[in-house]
Amino acid sequence: MAGQSNHELSLFSAEELEFIAEDEIVDIVPNLKMDPLCLVSGDFGPFTPQIVTQVPLWLAIALKRRGKCSIVPPQWMSVEKLTQVLEEERDSQEMSEHLPFHYVEISRLLFDHARDNIPDAYMVRSLIEDIRDVRFHKVETDLEGFNGFTIAVKIKNLSAMEVNIVRPFIGRALQAFYKHDSPELIPDPERVSERRPQVAQNAPRRQLRR
Amino acid sequence: MFLSQIVSVIFKKEASGVGIDPSSEADFIEVDSKVELPFWLAHELQLRQAVSVNVPPCFNQKTRLEIQADCASVDIRSRCPYFYEFGCKIAPIVGDRTIGVLLLSAFKNRYKEILTKAHTAAIAAGSKFWTILTNEEINLYETAQSAMASFKKWRMGGPRFQIASILGRKRKPAE
Repeated sequence: MAGQSNHELSLFSAEELEFIAEDEIVDIVPNLKMDPLCLVSGDFGPFTPQIVTQVPLWLAIALKRRGKCSIVPPQWMSVEKLTQVLEEERDSQEMSEHLPFHYVEISRLLFDHARDNIPDAYMVRSLIEDIRDVRFHKVETDLEGFNGFTIAVKIKNLSAMEVNIVRPFIGRALQAFYKHDSPELIPDPERVSERRPQVAQNAPRRQLRR
Repeated sequence: MFLSQIVSVIFKKEASGVGIDPSSEADFIEVDSKVELPFWLAHELQLRQAVSVNVPPCFNQKTRLEIQADCASVDIRSRCPYFYEFGCKIAPIVGDRTIGVLLLSAFKNRYKEILTKAHTAAIAAGSKFWTILTNEEINLYETAQSAMASFKKWRMGGPRFQIASILGRKRKPAE
């Protein structure tokens, strides 16, 4: 499952999630002329100066680092949209559906590599932090509802990073619940009384010796 | 491990030539004598119907009442660091069905506390809380903390395109 990261509970590391998020498609405005790139994941381009084109995030960042393009921040990453989402998150216990699955990773990558392309970068960043906090708090409240009868938990629109943070905890907690709720622990008196004489018959009588 | 937890047992058969009980004068254990043994030995003897196992003090009535009253702040660790594991093993042996219910309800209530504290509180602030958890709960707490810590580390770290160590190395001159 998870590549190099540790853990018996198959946890992705944050870096691995970031790597996965780099396959998301973003808009860029190139400033060079280049033929289409034919890659395993598809063909991208052709690249013409000032003409918007779509590429995977990793390619956008590579071009950006060489000064060959500017990245168009995704629609959801505007102050207006994020304020809406934040309000929505605060108002209801449901997770907002207006954020992409990899919003934490994408925003981090864009802030690291294309900060100058994001209008009101500071504001956008703090909004995303706030949204993340509100959402995480909701996840915690949802998880508090766990009891011995829980076999699964349903949280809609949870993002990759959020689920990754709570995954090891939930895994262990559910294991513990399962273990303590298993019927063997609360044995049927009849079944136990059936079992005991059997053991007695088979067990040889022995004197204890030093 | 919980195998070496001490449990008190009552012998149902005579046993000679055993030095289990250091306080006894004779090298002999009478029927109905009460002896404290490690759990693994008690279990084996119980299978052979040589002893009957008493309910250990960490599952007695007093502890139960405390757990029912204020589960989250009971210091279970000092009673038995392997509370849950030990409980699972001992329940069928002493034939007490209520231990299972007790374990489940204890875990259910304490779980919430661990959930909120593990993902938010700093480790220093949680130190008092830390001392009352059983081993299983500590594992759970640490799992959550380490997941959160590694996320925070990732979020704080600057841009990094790592160069594989093999590429960074200078080529050695051919010998």
